[in-house]
Amino acid sequence: MSRTLAGAAAIAGIGATAFTKESGRTELALAAEAVLDALGDAGVAPQEVDGMTAFAQDASSEIAVAREIGAGELRFFSRVPYGGGAACGTVAQAAMAVATGQADVVVAYRAFNERSGRRFGRAVRQDGGEPTSQSLELGWHVPVGLATPASWAAVAARRYMQVYGAVGEDFGRVAVQARRAAATNPRAWFHGRPITLEDHQASRWVAEPLRLLDCCQESDGGVALVVVSAERARALRRPPAVVRAAAQGAADGQMTMTSFYRGDGAGLPETGLVGGRLWAMSGLGPSDVQTAVLYDHFTPFVLMQLEELGFCGRGEAPAFVAEGRTALDGPLPVNPHGGQLGEAYIHGMNGIAEAVRQVRGTAANQVAGVEHVLVTAGAGVPTSGLVLGAYS
Amino acid sequence: MTATDTDTAPDLDGLAAAARARGEVDGGPAPDPVNAPMVRHWLEAMGDANPLYLREGLAPPAMLQVWTMPGQDPRPTASAVDELLGALDAHGLTGVVATDCVQAYDRYPRFGESLRSATRFGGLSGPKTTALGTGRFLTWHTAWYSGAERVGEMTFRVLKFAPASPEGASPGSASPDGPAPSAPRPPRNADTAFFWDGAEAGELRIRRCADCGALRHPPGPLCPHCRSGAADHVVASGEGTVFSHVVHHHPPVPGRTAPFPVAVVELPEGVRVAGAVVGAAPGEVHAGMAVRVDFERIGDGPALPCWRPAGQRRLPVAELELTRTAVTAGALATRDFTPVHHDPDRARAQGAQDVFLNILSTQGLVQRHATDWAGPGARVRRIALRLGAPAHAGDTLVLTGTAHPPEDGTTRVEVRGTTALGPHATATVELEGVR
Repeated sequence: MSRTLAGAAAIAGIGATAFTKESGRTELALAAEAVLDALGDAGVAPQEVDGMTAFAQDASSEIAVAREIGAGELRFFSRVPYGGGAACGTVAQAAMAVATGQADVVVAYRAFNERSGRRFGRAVRQDGGEPTSQSLELGWHVPVGLATPASWAAVAARRYMQVYGAVGEDFGRVAVQARRAAATNPRAWFHGRPITLEDHQASRWVAEPLRLLDCCQESDGGVALVVVSAERARALRRPPAVVRAAAQGAADGQMTMTSFYRGDGAGLPETGLVGGRLWAMSGLGPSDVQTAVLYDHFTPFVLMQLEELGFCGRGEAPAFVAEGRTALDGPLPVNPHGGQLGEAYIHGMNGIAEAVRQVRGTAANQVAGVEHVLVTAGAGVPTSGLVLGAYS
Repeated sequence: MTATDTDTAPDLDGLAAAARARGEVDGGPAPDPVNAPMVRHWLEAMGDANPLYLREGLAPPAMLQVWTMPGQDPRPTASAVDELLGALDAHGLTGVVATDCVQAYDRYPRFGESLRSATRFGGLSGPKTTALGTGRFLTWHTAWYSGAERVGEMTFRVLKFAPASPEGASPGSASPDGPAPSAPRPPRNADTAFFWDGAEAGELRIRRCADCGALRHPPGPLCPHCRSGAADHVVASGEGTVFSHVVHHHPPVPGRTAPFPVAVVELPEGVRVAGAVVGAAPGEVHAGMAVRVDFERIGDGPALPCWRPAGQRRLPVAELELTRTAVTAGALATRDFTPVHHDPDRARAQGAQDVFLNILSTQGLVQRHATDWAGPGARVRRIALRLGAPAHAGDTLVLTGTAHPPEDGTTRVEVRGTTALGPHATATVELEGVR
């Protein structure tokens, strides 16, 4: 058996709830609905599910979801920490499980009422108790006023501006392209509602240098993915999206969104690490993917990811985007579903579903001739990534 | 606000346009000329020992509005915003809370002078959703004249809002910036306690490996270079330069008033430390800015490192016990007879926990804090006051301040008044003649 995960597993089904601002249902109900939807898409019965992977942050346990869908016994379960950095990691864990025979049908899910319930955009509360390494990390920042994800992102955004001369409009173009794509994606919250660069520049400050339209939405909803072996996937009803590469990574001196103490502070070394592993594992390079789904919780991180993943050089992403290279009609459409800025913020899982649709050829804004799609997860945190492609 | 209200309520934009067209509206003469007894009474109520006023026959500048306060039996005095205030009530925006007061002084009024005030409309903005409810901000300007000569001007801004409950127009129960803050407390354990103990002692401590000498921040139990667990600390020089900074606007952060700057600062010792930037306007913070460490405290929370522009001076801290007598004396000395400032039952009936400081007293205390430091030779030219949570009787008002290096003869002093509820007042005082 070769020591690689490349090509061993595939995403055979994708499912989702509606993306809303107030689901009116519990998070467990959302999770179960998304999982059943994904199983239906794959044509796999719930009783066949024998493994689950989830975000460490998810409020619904694997066994709770298994009970709701009537999965029966589970042979494998695994959780991935670090917020949205977990997204592609749940697929990586599921792929490892099916590749090693630990499980045959693994469901990865993420579901939350992130808008109507606990909003991540709010100031973090530190309520004491026995310190954890995570709470100690936060403790250097939250009490002194760096209390929100946007403010942590703003520290990096400012460094990026200082080191490379980027300006607010450079961030704005990322938002404009995302909203343009969302405008023609019926699934997107901002369907039919594109914005202009002027709209971006007129939007209020959230944490300078970030404006409201630099920040992704807050959403209620759930997404689930069914992972099986590539062989099994071939026999199912949907064209498989084969996991050509999957990687997780944390960089030297890593913190969760607050890695202010390393290097020049203007890059995302963990994304660079994951990107390098993805290219090595897949045997592909930046010119071999036809579209990329880049985690866009905050616009500056899309620019930094383009550089870290090798799509352009350091400091070149603002021009790369301004030239339209990442637009829907450009050579590398980024986030053709509208991203989390435009479609919904489901912690990156909706981006993986979009990548599967692009491989299948069924996306709302289908990119022509897709062979491989790169997907990333939460940036600025220990992260993960995937390269998906058609079965060949 | 109900649909019926809006159907029959007057057109606010039309009234605003009419108010603007009206220009300056004469409010009539002050009942008394500027005089020593009222000044003495005011100085006593504020605890202001500045000998300048009685010696030179001058009125304290922060007393400007007192001269034309209507008193207990107000004659109907005309103002440029009366109709608008009434119309906002008719729209269901019956709650009112003052948010900003900026006074600029051309000169100190002299004993014997008769003052006259006039108002003009400033602006009407909103609707805006605030922590108190949805409302609109109304701004007006008042000028005081001695004969034809203007001696000072004030810009006043109130939030008129729809109270949550019919009786909910509770002056002093909250501020539009949000509910009372609970200070975030940094967690600490055996690996980090030395840092927070240092902050309490006014020291910025950096972990030092006892074996290889490497410095490290944020600290942990081991030295990542040599894996030694033996550590002591060095006390940082306190100097630093801004490495990156943000200005936080939204959402509200407990214990802080947005917008506020926060920086990650590079120390000459080779580590970086995050902290709020104090004593600088958000727009003044920039990359490479020279800063010096200081320590701040939010509410009853622990000392937190923060950064202030190099070259600033800190004013001595003043802690004022707000007895009912002190609150009431301030209200009477400023001729403010609103019951919530002297009658505890009426204050509680309106949702406040006790009588609370009126704005004119806060203004006087801010001026006093600046001039106590600057001395009788200084002249106050401007006080810009941002109002936060109310300061109730029974609470302690802690006044802190920072003086910036003088620019063109003007010294800017930032004064902050804090109670157990959080920031009560944030003010900028501009003075001339500070030695």
